[in-house]
Amino acid sequence: MEPFGYIAAADEKMAIDEAPRGTFIAGGTNMVDYMRLGVIKPTTLIDVSRLPLTNIEAAGDGVKIGALVRNSDLAYHPLIQQKYPVLAEALLSGASPQIRNMATTGGNILQRTRCPYFRDMHYAQCNKRQPGSGCAAIGGFNRSHAVLGGSPACIATNPSDMNVAMAALDATVHVHGPSGERDIAFVDFHTLPGDHPEVETVLQPGELITYVTLPAVTGKQHYLKVRDRASFAFALASAAVVLDVQGGTIHGARVALGGVGTKPWRAKEAEAALVGQAPSPAVFAKAADAALAGAKGQPTNAFKIELAKRTLVRALTEVSK
Amino acid sequence: MRRPRVLAFIDPWSPDPAELPAIQAHLRGLGAELGVVTKRGTWLVTPDDPPARLAEAPEADRSFEVADGATLVEALAAAGDAMRTPAPMTFTRREWALTSIAAGFSLALFGCKGKPHEDKPAPAPPPVVKAPMPPEYDIVLSVNGSDRKLKVEARVSLLDALRERLGLTGTKKGCDHGQCGACTVHFGERRIKSCMQLAVMSQGMKITTIEGLAQGDTLHPMQAAFVAHDGFQCGYCTPGQIMSAVAMLAEGHAKTDDEVREMMSGNLCRCGAYPNIIAAIQAARKGAA
Ligand SMILES: Cc1cc2nc3c(=O)[nH]c(=O)nc-3n(C[C@H](O)[C@H](O)[C@H](O)COP(=O)(O)OP(=O)(O)OC[C@H]3O[C@@H](n4cnc5c(N)ncnc54)[C@H](O)[C@@H]3O)c2cc1C
Ligand code: SF4
Ligand code: FES
Ligand code: FES
Repeated sequence: MEPFGYIAAADEKMAIDEAPRGTFIAGGTNMVDYMRLGVIKPTTLIDVSRLPLTNIEAAGDGVKIGALVRNSDLAYHPLIQQKYPVLAEALLSGASPQIRNMATTGGNILQRTRCPYFRDMHYAQCNKRQPGSGCAAIGGFNRSHAVLGGSPACIATNPSDMNVAMAALDATVHVHGPSGERDIAFVDFHTLPGDHPEVETVLQPGELITYVTLPAVTGKQHYLKVRDRASFAFALASAAVVLDVQGGTIHGARVALGGVGTKPWRAKEAEAALVGQAPSPAVFAKAADAALAGAKGQPTNAFKIELAKRTLVRALTEVSK
Repeated sequence: MRRPRVLAFIDPWSPDPAELPAIQAHLRGLGAELGVVTKRGTWLVTPDDPPARLAEAPEADRSFEVADGATLVEALAAAGDAMRTPAPMTFTRREWALTSIAAGFSLALFGCKGKPHEDKPAPAPPPVVKAPMPPEYDIVLSVNGSDRKLKVEARVSLLDALRERLGLTGTKKGCDHGQCGACTVHFGERRIKSCMQLAVMSQGMKITTIEGLAQGDTLHPMQAAFVAHDGFQCGYCTPGQIMSAVAMLAEGHAKTDDEVREMMSGNLCRCGAYPNIIAAIQAARKGAA
């Protein structure tokens, strides 16, 4: 790993003031991994891990989650277990207990893709790592890559499970930066690769994620993750669903997909296909078709289109039981 | 202005009369001087004078970062590049590595233009910068009940600090990327992967390693259970498995074998001792209950 400087931020203001000089580190599980691979080379790390942004509290009808809350604390918190089981399930399906003990809310939101070419410095071609260099995954080994939201420049997935639940739950990300505080709707937080896969979010330089809020939601929730092995693997396809069925009719539906999109994928088309209908296998299949209507497969990942549909149908079936 | 000085790292080295004329011819072509850095000290070779010994290298300066080049010209270009990056780090070692230093060694590079060598364009003159040595930080780690003072660079992981600096080699390095669990330690009450945690970020929390688990000669019940149930084959993953399992029982989220498998999924065992690992953990859990 290349050498770098280190500053421990004593408070939020210090973190933001120091931001132009360096890069934030929280749990470090993504940062240290990518620094050791040589993919990220910060000149200075600004350690925000000790900032007191560690509360989980009720806020109005919803909940407010500090950016430094560890993934394990969030998953097991009574408020989350009771009101947002889809978030708890998503968190507990991710990584391993040790990593969840380290990983933070803010860091999880911003974790980088697991595209093997992005991770491997031996490949010169990666637009995300080296803008303009090309994309080794297109036409290469792309089994784990996205079928939704890709561009000719990049087809890497957003790897986070938590993000999928956050997208379904209509979370809001609160950030604090050099020009003050602002709120960003979770679905607008991550950007599509387009011509600039190196840009992944709307976060501006120096902006610190301070907390995330979730609104109240009604309906049964579930996160279903499909992967190559039973545990400790990233999603090939996943679905976060919230289904509000009243009197035999779907009143509200929230659907987001993981493992298949270049960003946490909120599937509004699927929601539209569900609302007003009576839950049934045919309706769920239609919703799944709608969600994947724009999908584009590559030679080695086209199977994900069908896999994502089946994952979504199964998740919807589960919450309509 | 002084001539640019190319530094070569060769150890051991002393001037060889057979080699000297060729080196000096190169230096004349470049209009440069050569510093040959060995672990014990530095030689200065100029185009015209006999090689002279410079000062002994102080202990602290015996590690250095180098930029490599196949020829002097390339080496000079590499030096310029290295000096323009804030933290130069290309580290390659070759038999005859004509290289240039960019970290704060006792010698600095002097920024004059070298003369073109065999009509090749001269490299851009290196700016007169002396890049700083990577900063070190004084830290205190509380490990297995005692405070240990250390001076570390920011890039040192907790795992490396434990193993290489504190001699606590019970904690193992498998993957160094958070994927295998061999490096699991307790950070406060929590099990974490020490390869993913920087030592500078590990202060102020009680760290427990496998060495801190037993009470004197009495094994921790989990250690005893691993022995009784043969929960290992080669044993490399075992310290991590045990640290992880102890924390897992304290967390209280796993009871059935399947739950234990899920909650131990961060610890891989290349020998496939899983059935016995599960048996050991379940025995320890029942003993503890
Ligand atoms: C072996 C392994 C397996 C994994 N498996 C999964 C999985 O199955 N599913 C899954 O979802 N994830 C998985 N992960 C990823 C893991 O969830 C992330 O590494 C983790 O969530 C990152 O959080 P962190 O706090 O450690 O982030 P850090 O590594 O500290 O930071 C990550 C990024 O976020 C930035 N950052 C951090 N906090 C803030 C803040 N408050 N404001 C602004 N910027 C900030 C940092 O600058 C950096 O760019 C896995 C990781 C590993 C190593
Ligand atoms: S898919 Fe994206 S991250 Fe992967 S190689 Fe292509 S540009 Fe890089
Ligand atoms: S060495 Fe830390 S998880 Fe493998
Ligand atoms: S006992 Fe050999 S790796 Fe587990």
